[in-house]
Amino acid sequence: MLKNLQALWIGIVVLLCGQAALQKAFIFPTWQKNYSVEAEGEISAQLSPDQILLQLFGFREFLAGILWVRADGFFDEGNYDAILPIIKLCTTLDPKQIDIYATGMWHIGYNFTDEQQRSDRRYVASALALGKQGSRQNPETYELFFETGWMWYHKIQDDPWQAVKWFQEAHRRKDILPARKNLLSHAYMRNGQIPEAMEMYFTLYGEAAKSANAASHDYSSTQIRDTLENNIDTEIVRMVQRGWVAEQKHDGSFEKGDYDANPPFDTGFSCRVVVTAPRVVHFEGTWNVLPVGTRIRVVLRDMDYPGAKIAELDWDGSTNVNFEPGVNQTFMQDDLYVKNRRFNHDVDMSKDPTMYPCVSKTYLLEFYYSPRIAPPHIQDKFSWNGEGMKDKVFSREDIRGAKEFTYDPFPMASDHDKPLAPITIKSPGQRVFYTTLTLTRDQLLRLGEWAGSRSPSVATSNYKQSESSQEADEVIKVPTLRGK
Amino acid sequence: MNVIWNIASTTVGEAIRRRVLLVILLIGVLLLSIIPALGILSARSETSITIGTMFAVMRGTSALIAIVLTIYMLPNEIERRTIYTILSKPVQRWQFLVGKYLGAVLALLLMIFMMTVFMLLLFWVFQHPSIGKLAEIAKQPFMYWMEMSLLAAVGMFFSTFIAPLVNFFMTIGIWLVGTVLNPLYDTLSKNANTQPLMKGIATIVTNILPNFANYDTKNPIINPGQVIQNGALYNWATVGYTAMYVGILLLLSIVVFDRREV
Repeated sequence: MLKNLQALWIGIVVLLCGQAALQKAFIFPTWQKNYSVEAEGEISAQLSPDQILLQLFGFREFLAGILWVRADGFFDEGNYDAILPIIKLCTTLDPKQIDIYATGMWHIGYNFTDEQQRSDRRYVASALALGKQGSRQNPETYELFFETGWMWYHKIQDDPWQAVKWFQEAHRRKDILPARKNLLSHAYMRNGQIPEAMEMYFTLYGEAAKSANAASHDYSSTQIRDTLENNIDTEIVRMVQRGWVAEQKHDGSFEKGDYDANPPFDTGFSCRVVVTAPRVVHFEGTWNVLPVGTRIRVVLRDMDYPGAKIAELDWDGSTNVNFEPGVNQTFMQDDLYVKNRRFNHDVDMSKDPTMYPCVSKTYLLEFYYSPRIAPPHIQDKFSWNGEGMKDKVFSREDIRGAKEFTYDPFPMASDHDKPLAPITIKSPGQRVFYTTLTLTRDQLLRLGEWAGSRSPSVATSNYKQSESSQEADEVIKVPTLRGK
Repeated sequence: MNVIWNIASTTVGEAIRRRVLLVILLIGVLLLSIIPALGILSARSETSITIGTMFAVMRGTSALIAIVLTIYMLPNEIERRTIYTILSKPVQRWQFLVGKYLGAVLALLLMIFMMTVFMLLLFWVFQHPSIGKLAEIAKQPFMYWMEMSLLAAVGMFFSTFIAPLVNFFMTIGIWLVGTVLNPLYDTLSKNANTQPLMKGIATIVTNILPNFANYDTKNPIINPGQVIQNGALYNWATVGYTAMYVGILLLLSIVVFDRREV
């Protein structure tokens, strides 16, 4: 029999306390910092305890792989709804699989559309949230920073400093592909940062020329170099012809000179909106600019849509990936395609009542045009900041004024021992076109006094019925761009 | 010390001769050999999936070996009455227990070493990694060996007063719970919806139960580029943690076994 049992028990208690102290004071915090699969536990923190059990036993990557193969099958079948929970599960199981984040955010942002292929923009904030989450979980690679930037640049097209921010972060990562670096210059252009765009082009050209000279047989390097050279040439011509260079002198050269963007062109917007059937809206009006290439943004949304901004939503407002955003909220965004200086467009929301529930009492119709997102041949007339554009009634310089946007860079492993200074992006103001109309729920759904044959109609104060017939639109008239 | 060593070396010999352990080891090796084919599940994360799954198989196989090895250790001796022969000699009961435990730990070392060599060979054949990468991969099995040493102590402790079948489920249950303690505690403590009582229970459980999640340090190996701070200190702390917890379990085993009528 043991002689000193008491000492043994004391030893057991001391060891028990010792291991608990070691666990709590050092092992767990270090494990969390060094070895936890997810950064800061942000994904698991969104799960219920029973869902956490799925993360068990080291087969996480394997299970995520199998599930993603299954999701691929759902893609083929067009069963898009089934993919959403798999995306969440896969990113929980293996937050390092960047393909799942990239494909997932594309899927959420682009693939949920109505019968007329308009995206359900209520999902965009969730797509961005997934991109942000993926970037935090994979801070060493450029990919998710680039994908998130692309979502801002291509899909959202608002708040251009956001695309700059994400592309700048992608650029800080060394693994970014050379061919993708150009996008930062384009983002600078869209944000009105012309000097920064040119500086970036020249930097990239220097790198590309060096790499092409080092390996002259490398077709990709020479192609990148030639593309950059062409881009630089084109932008210099644009800067001069649009009058941007003259503007920088601030001595009246622009106003006196013969530039494409001077004098400003009156866009002459007018519009009438007719609700032809419940949830079916017809837009017709004028846009006195060019025969082809102009698309005026139209938004129909709840008057009290949470987080709504001018002609856009608070796209960056979500930190969680929410697969059922705004079930009782209506937000429709479309483009009015202009041909022969007129537009005629029907928006049919009747086939998608879940996307357009229309439960609000009042709806705001917004019409918006920003020269920054115009194609280059139209931008040649309007310039980057709308210097060449005016509308007697609806020109606005107050709603897209100059902005300074500051953000904290995403730390990489190499940054761990040095504090990162916040980065500020300066976005010059721009002149845009913006106006609004309102519709009531009764009008939109043809209820009450609008239930009969009388179609509700609202119009801008300057609207005049066009005399040209619908058939005349079949022929595209091409006026000169240089005409004053 | 000689006594303990003699018992330990005999235990290693017995473990090598036990067919059930060899079968488990063989199944583990077979599973390891098909893993390179699973890399196809993700074209870009092939290495991550391959290494991650290999580690998972190795961990599962090692755990099964550790449990099966230890749950029968004392009951078999008692059933075959060989324990009477040993204890009738100048061998203390604690020496017998410590010897048995050390034998189990050495047997586990041997088996994990064999699996590691096989795994590295496979990885080298299919992925052509650098020697540095292979050396990095080889670190994790060492952590698994420590984990299995702790698991063996759990199995050994229960075997002093519980029948093998019940012991199997008890030990495997404790291991399963122990492998998710860190992620679970991490999640519960950060989840805003968790009730304070739940958080309190999680804190107590995490600090009392053997925490097998501490040994899962494969993340920087399968996802390179992460900065590891105090890595060496962490390894030493884990060794200290293992020693303390194994000490607790062995002392408890000694107390229980000392009072048992054998």
